[in-house]
Amino acid sequence: MAYVVPTEFVTKMVDAGESKLLMSTRDTLIRAYMAGAILALAAAFAITVSVNTGNPLVGALLFPVGFILLYLMGFDLLTGVFTLVPLAVLDKRPGATWGGCLRNWTLVFFGNFAGAMTVAVFMAIIFTFGFSEAPNAVGVKIGSIGEGRTVGYAAHGAAGMLTLFIRGVLCNWMVSTGVVAAMMSTSVSGKAIGMWMPIMVFFYMGFEHSIVNMFLFPSGLMLGGKFTIMDYLIWNEIPTVVGNLVGGLTFVGLTLYSTHYKTAPKRVLS
Amino acid sequence: MGAALRLALGQHSEAGSKPLNQDFHGAALPTDAQRRSRGIALAIADGISSSPVSQVASAAAVRGFLEDYYGTSEAWTVRRAAQCVLAATNGWLHAQTQRGDGRFDKDRGHVCTFSALVFKGREVHLLHVGDTRAYRVHPTALEQLSHDHRVRLDGGQTYLGRALGLGPHLEIDHACWPTEVGETYLLATDGAYEHLDPLLVINTLARHGNDLQAAAQALVAAALARGSQDNATVMLARVESLPDQLSPPVRRERLRLPPRLAPRMEFEGYRVIRELYASARSQVVLAVDAQDREWALKLPSTDMGSDPKALDRFATEEWVARRVDSPHVIKAAPAEKRREHLFTAMEFITGQTLAQWMTDHPKPGLDEVRQLVDQIARGLQALHRKEMLHQDLRPENLMIDRQGTVILIDLASAHVAGLNEGLGDARATDIAGSLQYTAPEYFTGDGGTPVSELFSLAVLAYQMLTGELPYGLQVPQVRGPRDLHKLQYVPLRTRRPDLPEWLDRVLRKALHPQPARRQQALSEFAHDLYAPGPEFMSRDRTPLQQRHPLLFWRVLTLGFGLSTLVLLGLRVTGH
Repeated sequence: MAYVVPTEFVTKMVDAGESKLLMSTRDTLIRAYMAGAILALAAAFAITVSVNTGNPLVGALLFPVGFILLYLMGFDLLTGVFTLVPLAVLDKRPGATWGGCLRNWTLVFFGNFAGAMTVAVFMAIIFTFGFSEAPNAVGVKIGSIGEGRTVGYAAHGAAGMLTLFIRGVLCNWMVSTGVVAAMMSTSVSGKAIGMWMPIMVFFYMGFEHSIVNMFLFPSGLMLGGKFTIMDYLIWNEIPTVVGNLVGGLTFVGLTLYSTHYKTAPKRVLS
Repeated sequence: MGAALRLALGQHSEAGSKPLNQDFHGAALPTDAQRRSRGIALAIADGISSSPVSQVASAAAVRGFLEDYYGTSEAWTVRRAAQCVLAATNGWLHAQTQRGDGRFDKDRGHVCTFSALVFKGREVHLLHVGDTRAYRVHPTALEQLSHDHRVRLDGGQTYLGRALGLGPHLEIDHACWPTEVGETYLLATDGAYEHLDPLLVINTLARHGNDLQAAAQALVAAALARGSQDNATVMLARVESLPDQLSPPVRRERLRLPPRLAPRMEFEGYRVIRELYASARSQVVLAVDAQDREWALKLPSTDMGSDPKALDRFATEEWVARRVDSPHVIKAAPAEKRREHLFTAMEFITGQTLAQWMTDHPKPGLDEVRQLVDQIARGLQALHRKEMLHQDLRPENLMIDRQGTVILIDLASAHVAGLNEGLGDARATDIAGSLQYTAPEYFTGDGGTPVSELFSLAVLAYQMLTGELPYGLQVPQVRGPRDLHKLQYVPLRTRRPDLPEWLDRVLRKALHPQPARRQQALSEFAHDLYAPGPEFMSRDRTPLQQRHPLLFWRVLTLGFGLSTLVLLGLRVTGH
């Protein structure tokens, strides 16, 4: 695995953020849609593995395949653009503005959501034989996850909200570390190893990932989880998105940017 | 590395029944490096028989072409190089014509026809003027590649319409075809081809197999035997092997990737002083050599190490810098010794980047900006004269030295036409530079031209004046020609109302999404910034609201306020 030194890959992070800002609306939406869909499929796969083996570690060990796949195909998750795009604005790349950053986040959010929803519907059809039967074991499990992670938090009030937020922060700390780790290597195997570790950590620890949740909760609702859409939005999705934003930006983007990029002398010659 | 370009040749010329052979022919046997960069050339010329001196003309044309063609810049395309050489030959021949009898009677001047085939890469180029002919030999037919420049009169008489030495200016035909291994080409003067038929040529070639020299002699003999009264010359060329790919001008097989350099390290005879810049693509360090001269060394990054194409481009940067001589383009260090590693050494420029200058001068005056633009344009022109495109014009790639000279640096993205021809599409379609400054035609897939660089320069000028981009981030989002209409130019004066109206029009023209509607030369744009023509000075037709938005709303609000007062007054007075 060819290792790229930090000063090099941090400029790569800023370049990546800049290129996402420059992407056309159509491309941004399609790539975000595909990313959401692939990640949702991987989540469904990991939960199926967990339920069938009875061991959540096996599911966590295998979940990163989805993330690796979508990263290698160049698709974008909201968690990743939270970390990368602001760096281009902070670095004052030509034309990079906070408005453009928000535009990108919004497009990626809706793209991810549509992709995850598509898979949620597909999987619900599979789990219930086209809504003709009661959901199978995996379906029941997804329904109960949805319940525990909305109504469960709500039961604790403000403390629940804080926990949810911190879980969101931790999640994107890990996930964005995965994105960055992928830039540390130039080979596919190196990228895959780099991404595997943090993604596995986040999935096993049950941290809140805004896109995985875009699949889990709508599925849960379709499979008879006992919570409402408003429960999902207020007691999960919105705090998770904010937590993901804070986690990715502060713990990954800004730390690397300020220590490895800003400390380097300004360019005098190309 | 694929096979090299190889040709089998056969050539023969005879005076026939005439006392003097005014035909001339020749082929160049270039070195390996020349064969890669310039190809293999064969040329044939036929002096007009009415002139007693045309053998001088034909010999000068062929010799001059074969010698001078290989002396042209390797950055040039075959077409440009050949036309340049032939224009010079034509100028000389025409001058000879004007000095001798030909001054009053063109038929007695230094006049000849000229045809040349240049094989380069996997393509063959034809340069042609007059009525010698070039053919491609097919299994059952001959395909005439050249077009006879003959003028036919009513009486059945024919005259040469175009030839070398006939006039002060030369219009020369150029065409280019892909070629294949095993194809045979035939060049012949009228004394030969008028008395040969396709079947005879094909049979003769078949009879002599690989011995093209014997075939050429047999064809000339056959033409004379069939009653040719003129000099007869035949050249045959068969493609024996072709390169599979274009080889980069700099061989880097034996060069290792350099380590990452740290201050005080010794590296290839240089001592590293400090790092100047590091990115995902390269590391640049300041270093001094044994004579204590300062150089900027650029090294490929670890990340680039796995990308052979990027490394080839990297290695080409010095090659490009050595071929351009302009005060506004960076110079390469002299290559004094063999290198072990892949890196480039360029002159070290003390000064600041244009990016820094823009930060220091957020609202510069027009005069400062156009002086910078003028210098950048000169640097770009120096590249364009060598048929190169810089392709990565951005504030970070422009240095302003202590004396205020603007210097283009980073030539690693340059597109060199002469290096890209030979495999079909030689257009500059790869987006090599910063997307924000790249012209829309790159995004639609049409590829870059010097006018695309004009667009990038105008974006820079606009950014220097306003700090913003004229189309925001819309240009990189263009996907096809239809998207071009959606590009919204933000008028300069909405951001800098203090600047003159005509300036907005000049920039708007240079930034037009359609290349054909921009100024057609960098010099034209630079000139427009100093002396705008009447098209930019026309009466102000932009609406008041755009010219003075604040004034517009003030007047409007005042009007509303006044009318409210009037209405209120009317109401109070009871009308």
